[in-house]
Amino acid sequence: MSEFRKQHPVAGVTQVIDSIKQNFITLLIVLFIGSSNTEGYFLYFLAAGLVISLFGGIFGWWFFRFRIFEDELQIEKGIFVKKKLYLSKDRIQVIDITEGILQRLFGLVKVEVKTAGGGTETATISAITREEAEELRTELRKRNNGNSNHFEDLEEDQEKKDQILSTWKLSTKDLVYAAFTSGNFGLIASILGAVSGQLNEMINEENIRFIYEIMPGYSDVTIYVALIFAIIVVSWLLSFLGVIFTYSDFRLHKTEEELIITRGLFEKKHITVPYDRIQAVRFVEGVIRQPFGYGMIYVESAGFDQNQKGRSIVLAPYISARAVSSFLNEFLAEYEEPEYGFKPPKKALFRYLRRPNYFLLLLVPVLWYFLNRGWLSLMLIPVLSILGWMRYKDAAVGFNNDILRMRYRTISRTTAIMKKNRIQAADLSQNPFQIRKGLVNFSATAASGAGGMNFGVEDLGNEDSLRIYDWVAGEKNIGRQHEGEEQNGTVT
Amino acid sequence: MNQEPASRIHKNAIKAWTVNALLFGLLWFIPAIFYAGIAISQNFNNETPWYNRVDWPLFLSLFLIALILYIMMAWVLPNLRWKRWKYEVSDNGIDMLRGIIIKKRTVIPINRVQHVDTRQGPVYRKFELASVAISTAATTHEIPALDNETADELRNTISMLVRKVKSDV
Repeated sequence: MSEFRKQHPVAGVTQVIDSIKQNFITLLIVLFIGSSNTEGYFLYFLAAGLVISLFGGIFGWWFFRFRIFEDELQIEKGIFVKKKLYLSKDRIQVIDITEGILQRLFGLVKVEVKTAGGGTETATISAITREEAEELRTELRKRNNGNSNHFEDLEEDQEKKDQILSTWKLSTKDLVYAAFTSGNFGLIASILGAVSGQLNEMINEENIRFIYEIMPGYSDVTIYVALIFAIIVVSWLLSFLGVIFTYSDFRLHKTEEELIITRGLFEKKHITVPYDRIQAVRFVEGVIRQPFGYGMIYVESAGFDQNQKGRSIVLAPYISARAVSSFLNEFLAEYEEPEYGFKPPKKALFRYLRRPNYFLLLLVPVLWYFLNRGWLSLMLIPVLSILGWMRYKDAAVGFNNDILRMRYRTISRTTAIMKKNRIQAADLSQNPFQIRKGLVNFSATAASGAGGMNFGVEDLGNEDSLRIYDWVAGEKNIGRQHEGEEQNGTVT
Repeated sequence: MNQEPASRIHKNAIKAWTVNALLFGLLWFIPAIFYAGIAISQNFNNETPWYNRVDWPLFLSLFLIALILYIMMAWVLPNLRWKRWKYEVSDNGIDMLRGIIIKKRTVIPINRVQHVDTRQGPVYRKFELASVAISTAATTHEIPALDNETADELRNTISMLVRKVKSDV
């Protein structure tokens, strides 16, 4: 493989599709604005953009070449700005082979090569044949240490490393349940928002008269309600299909040094997570899933793609809360589950109850003023208070020698487990009201992608939060505290 | 919160922050000036004298808000901010306590520190101050306004501690 090679021409097409995907939101905005103008010149913009990305795709493919030369994977690309990306074999940590929809049509695969270290870059070869990819992988995994006797040992080592120790599969039944319970409120809200912009145009007199004619006896309120209902159904359907497409044939394999995930119906993804990259584990129970006793397991992983702010990877899309312990035992044995030793004190309950209600101070006056029966929005108070009460019940922190475990709820309930030596920073914060009551918010930050992920519990007692803080800080202050207590003669 | 961190930042910080706020605080007056400019230039060919084109109560309230903010930022906040800033560097971590209204305390375990650097803007240079920025894989925290020697010393201490811990593991 010391000669430069080109990708399959399909790579050009995938690049065009990628650039459309990346500009999807811009496209939507252009379409929305454009379609409300009667003149169609926005179409020219669209066409121009398409032509440019098409040429970009073709020439991008033309100038892209790669080879393995002297222990390096060398990639050269770029139309105007030439970019040479040389990855040394020793530094390569992960090689992922993925089949996209387009690649599958042509019997091709996509290869992503990732290195370890801080300022890392992912080398992506977006379309080559499966044989080429396999050849590339074996070639890159060979490590010549100059010693040919050594070589066979290394190969054996590699085989041992690749051996699958255990596997977790998502059953078809669970996949369907996962899809049913996946109601994505963010998606619903965004579709509602997008549609309500167009609503005024849709609901003009003609249309309403037309609807009255086909459905006599309906007022416009029922039409609004029906519309919202339809949007909820559609977005639920979308997220249902989304889950089916993404998590079909989901398998999690464990090898000596990494976790390997393969998933997808049309687009087969292959994700490799080395153990030493894992920063934290999360078990998230959505509102719809929690009553059934199910949730989702994520891991936070650091590095690889510096452009990506957060990097959460789904380890188990649908798993019973009771099975989490044994799952962790099998796949992430180091992540134990220490007992919860700290909970918010009773005096924090009222703060928990009223916190979700704060935004009503803004919402209720507006609704009261603008809508006929706006004061009915006051009925949200008990609902939000129940949410507050659940948050109070769920908030908890526990730790042992090496592991911190936190449970908290925003809307879904999250249980986060992280190793002490993976905590990047711990924070305590107190506003004036909390100072008066002696309550403190605690949060811990783990690295995720190129950024951080925050896990926090609100309104813990003063002493409790300091105990946790001191544990993260290395128990320096706890020692001091004990000295103080000895002097006072109150050692327990 | 008991057992507060021991060290304070340099007293000159107050002056430096005041100067900074006096410079950047001029931005608060932009709305008032902007409004006056627009109002005066609006009906330029019109016979009404320029001082009648401005809605003075509105202008004055904009100006007053700006003035209050200006004074707060320049003379009140720096003092409070200095009083609240405390830090401590030990073998285990960097402990920082700060916050004027919301009290915030952060610890960065030493073995998570990726790099430390000192930073100095033009105003800090004038007062011979520098801040120390501590970066981890997830966050960057800054201890502001230490005098030059302390900042350098702190940077060296932290990087020495980091090296010691990392070679241990």
